[in-house]
Amino acid sequence: MRVVEIDKNICTGCRECAKVCPAYAIEGEQGEPQTINTDKCVMCGQCVQKCKSYVSIVTHGYEAYDKVRKERGIPESVKEPLFAAHNVTHIDEVKKALADPTKVVMASAAPAVRTGLAEEFGYKLGTLSNGKMAAAFRALGFDYIYDVNFAADLTIMEEGSELIERVTTGKGKLPMFTSCCPAWVTFLERNYPELSDHLSSCKSPQQMQGAVQKTYGAELRGLKKKDIFNVSVMPCTCKEFECSREEMNASGERDIDVVITTRELAWLIKDAGIDFKSLKEEEFDKPLGEFTGAGEIFGATGGVMEAALRTGYELITGKEIPDVKIPSVRGGEGFRTADIKVGDLTLKVGVVSGLKHVVQVLEDVKAGKLNHFHFIEVMTCPVGCVSGGGQPKLLMDTDKETAYYNRTHTTYKMDEELPIRKSHDNPSIKKIYKEFLKNPLGEKSHHLLHTHYVKGPAKTVK
Amino acid sequence: MTNKYSCYVLADPNKCTGCKACELACFAEHNKSNNGVGYTVGTVTIPVTPKLYLTKTKAYCMPIQCRHCEDAPCLNACQKHAIYRENSQVIVDQEKCIGCKDCVLACPFGAIAILPIGEKGKLKLQKDREVVKVASKCDLCKDIEGGPACVRVCPNDALELVDANADIEAKNIKTAEGLYVSRI
Repeated sequence: MRVVEIDKNICTGCRECAKVCPAYAIEGEQGEPQTINTDKCVMCGQCVQKCKSYVSIVTHGYEAYDKVRKERGIPESVKEPLFAAHNVTHIDEVKKALADPTKVVMASAAPAVRTGLAEEFGYKLGTLSNGKMAAAFRALGFDYIYDVNFAADLTIMEEGSELIERVTTGKGKLPMFTSCCPAWVTFLERNYPELSDHLSSCKSPQQMQGAVQKTYGAELRGLKKKDIFNVSVMPCTCKEFECSREEMNASGERDIDVVITTRELAWLIKDAGIDFKSLKEEEFDKPLGEFTGAGEIFGATGGVMEAALRTGYELITGKEIPDVKIPSVRGGEGFRTADIKVGDLTLKVGVVSGLKHVVQVLEDVKAGKLNHFHFIEVMTCPVGCVSGGGQPKLLMDTDKETAYYNRTHTTYKMDEELPIRKSHDNPSIKKIYKEFLKNPLGEKSHHLLHTHYVKGPAKTVK
Repeated sequence: MTNKYSCYVLADPNKCTGCKACELACFAEHNKSNNGVGYTVGTVTIPVTPKLYLTKTKAYCMPIQCRHCEDAPCLNACQKHAIYRENSQVIVDQEKCIGCKDCVLACPFGAIAILPIGEKGKLKLQKDREVVKVASKCDLCKDIEGGPACVRVCPNDALELVDANADIEAKNIKTAEGLYVSRI
């Protein structure tokens, strides 16, 4: 399927994208238009973020701009520059569903989206737009405003329990790798298939959210799952690929019908003539839109690890964690490790940020050098999802450091300000287990929230 | 009055990869206050109109921009007195410019283009709804904090703010150093 592409007519062959591509997938001579080797590409979209080769009225002409915009399915109301490297947009599918009276359209956005969205409307880098985003979804006509942050909390319940099971019973491979980042999962499946048992069997929060919206969510509202249309908004270009994987239909339908990026959500808002600046903050719908600080920090590198430790500590020891803040797993690009005391147990954990840094880790796992590690988080993008390929694209890369810093800071600030900061304390999480899922790793969870991996390229159905 | 030369930005075609980061940064910096351009691509509502122009052949590429000539052919050619000098730099007054292209023809480097301009995030229009096009050339990021944006953003350090005065001084010192024999 088409996810990330380079337009040969616009590419100047500068190969700046090749410098940031973690999969060495961009091929071509210097000065000549580049092509993406789709066997290697993990669809992370870092090339999309990097590319500055725009359709120019000076060299290409006005008509060329209109033609490219039309070809890409971008609304006419969008006047922003278009670049050679881009991701395939799906906003037409969203608009069609919103206009279809037979569809019940549910929105859910990833944690990092709300740290970037406002930038597209002229706000300072990293301005939080949680409540405005919820208001924008309502103004666009979505029927239910849910939140992938809820499923991030759900992921912690399942993945935390899975880790405890692997550590205490010896069932399953260690170190266990996180599985929320689809570009990382794709990279492992294709390049290190022999290590796929190390991946957590948990689906990503996006896919958990989709599966529960079409099952539990449908039951709660008396809806038929075939009438539900799930739109997921992601800071990520690879998420559309993930939702198109053939096995992602645990509800009996496509669990997530379509994915759009943070940038595409901004297009939708502008196209509908909504004045983002004047939107009043609104709440998400419960229960599938209720979340904790632990869910929110999934957007930053080390966040999944920290959230898992907050819950894992209390599940293992039965005592309250002394401090919910775990600075040793926070940080920037690279591979960092920490020893975390959990009762009598010392958990050896690692965090990889930036896919380029994972190769050495994987080689070390293969060579048995990391056998003493329990849990390793891997995120493809430089500082996690806040720096994802679908996030607002900077006009000047000199602002990158500030953008990453501010978006990360906003993520942790939001966590600090939320009344509940541990996934297992989320009342809606308690409710879904009581009413529907019963137990983490239980039969229903196994069917809806866990997955399996392939050795090689995954099949898609779209 | 001192005999100080104007500064200018010069690109090195041996380092330039042709990425256009300079063009985009130039546009972004010059359209922040008038056209609401923020930090990200989504804040742009008008066509990208830079003040330096990437030139690409099969063998090499580099952006071309104004040399801020001491005897400026563009300034001398302009019949509307729309080109003036400020602190040694040659500046186009886009309010006065009528887009007659005399300066374009006069410039020996091809550093000037006639391009549309925006106002409050929309293209400025004439009475007949045709877009207003005026001379657009490097102003060395006059009044912009941090100096020339193109130099700041180049990922390959291919652009340099050239100060001919400093160049002469440095070479003078080198020459003198070479001749000087310590008397001690």
